[in-house]
Amino acid sequence: MSTTDAGDPSAADIAKGFADGREESLAEAYRRWSGLVYTLALRSVNDRGDAEEITQQVFVSAWRGRAGFDPETGTLGSWLVGVARHRIADHHAARTRHRRNVEAVIPAAAVSSGDEDRLVDRVVLADELDRLDDPRRTILKLAFYEDQTYSQIAEQLDLPLGTVKSHVRRGLLYLRTRLKEVTGDAS
Amino acid sequence: MTHLDDETLAQWALDDLEPSPEATGHLTTCADCRGRLDELRHLADLSHDLPHLEVPPPEVWERIAAELGHEDGATRTAEPLAQQPSAVVVRTNRRALVLAASIAAILGLGAGVLGTRLIDNSKDVATTQAAIKLEPLEGKSGDGTADLVRIGTGAELRVTASGLPAPRGFYEVWLINQDGKRMVSLGVLSPGTVGTYQIPADATGQGYRIVDISLEPDDGNPEHSHDSIIRGTLPT
Repeated sequence: MSTTDAGDPSAADIAKGFADGREESLAEAYRRWSGLVYTLALRSVNDRGDAEEITQQVFVSAWRGRAGFDPETGTLGSWLVGVARHRIADHHAARTRHRRNVEAVIPAAAVSSGDEDRLVDRVVLADELDRLDDPRRTILKLAFYEDQTYSQIAEQLDLPLGTVKSHVRRGLLYLRTRLKEVTGDAS
Repeated sequence: MTHLDDETLAQWALDDLEPSPEATGHLTTCADCRGRLDELRHLADLSHDLPHLEVPPPEVWERIAAELGHEDGATRTAEPLAQQPSAVVVRTNRRALVLAASIAAILGLGAGVLGTRLIDNSKDVATTQAAIKLEPLEGKSGDGTADLVRIGTGAELRVTASGLPAPRGFYEVWLINQDGKRMVSLGVLSPGTVGTYQIPADATGQGYRIVDISLEPDDGNPEHSHDSIIRGTLPT
């Protein structure tokens, strides 16, 4: 269930090369996960410049700290999401400290960890959805992004209604598995 | 009653349906099924609230490569080469292709200088070498044109497109080699405008003759989406 071609390195191959310190695996990891990391940062800090800086920090610190990554115990995607969450939390903490120093009376905008969890889940799901094969990807996008009904999708793509329903159902179950792999928990 | 299967639970979660009375009875006593239904409801809820993925600008990778002292790191990702969007995929060594493109540029430069001398002071005169139509691929709609224009010592491809479906994402222009193994991204095309792209002077001589416009999702993946809309082939 992936759009990866036979000639593309798999996520597992990238992870192994990354752990082994191969520079091209860092480039591959960036190609595969930079959209996810950047979108996560952007949605959390709401500033493009800061999100770019966080993305840079995530890949630099992940590469420098790659000794701490074990491909046997987790996926690289999951590890990078973990690194990103730390960097984003650091950013919020620094901003809060700054605000306290500047204007002690204004309470800092708290970012609850529940909100962050939900954001991570949503971005990971969007990323995984994009990697589905068609027609499932198109069907799920129409259902989730455009809130189209099963019959609207069936008509638009000229597919039987049952096929559309089945793709959405199985797509959701597949996304549940992928989300667990990346975040360790679907809820 | 046996446990409820995932597909049934997924359908209830997606359609926000109440389980059947029999299933409701089971759910009150079975923490496992109840947990899975709650989890799927949460997931269905998240799925209707997904963000569009955004791509960091290319400078971010360049800064990473620079900070880590990876000399050619920027080239590897910034050079948006991807594979042939067909079922048979043959991956090309990126560096070899970059090198080939550089050599092509040098060869083209030499030929261009010679040509310019022969036709005297035509250095900045644009000469259209080829003008082709771009036709929709099967099941797609739209059309366009591609003009190969020689200017002084270089070459440009001028591309237009019209009647393309309103996209989620963006259109990208590719030059695909007829060897079916290599391709190069020329850049993004806004429908209704003329896109002008610098190409190596001898690109067509090297086999880069297929002009392809693809619809690319905003997914951060710099490679060809495999969703080609219109295409044409430049003459040699």
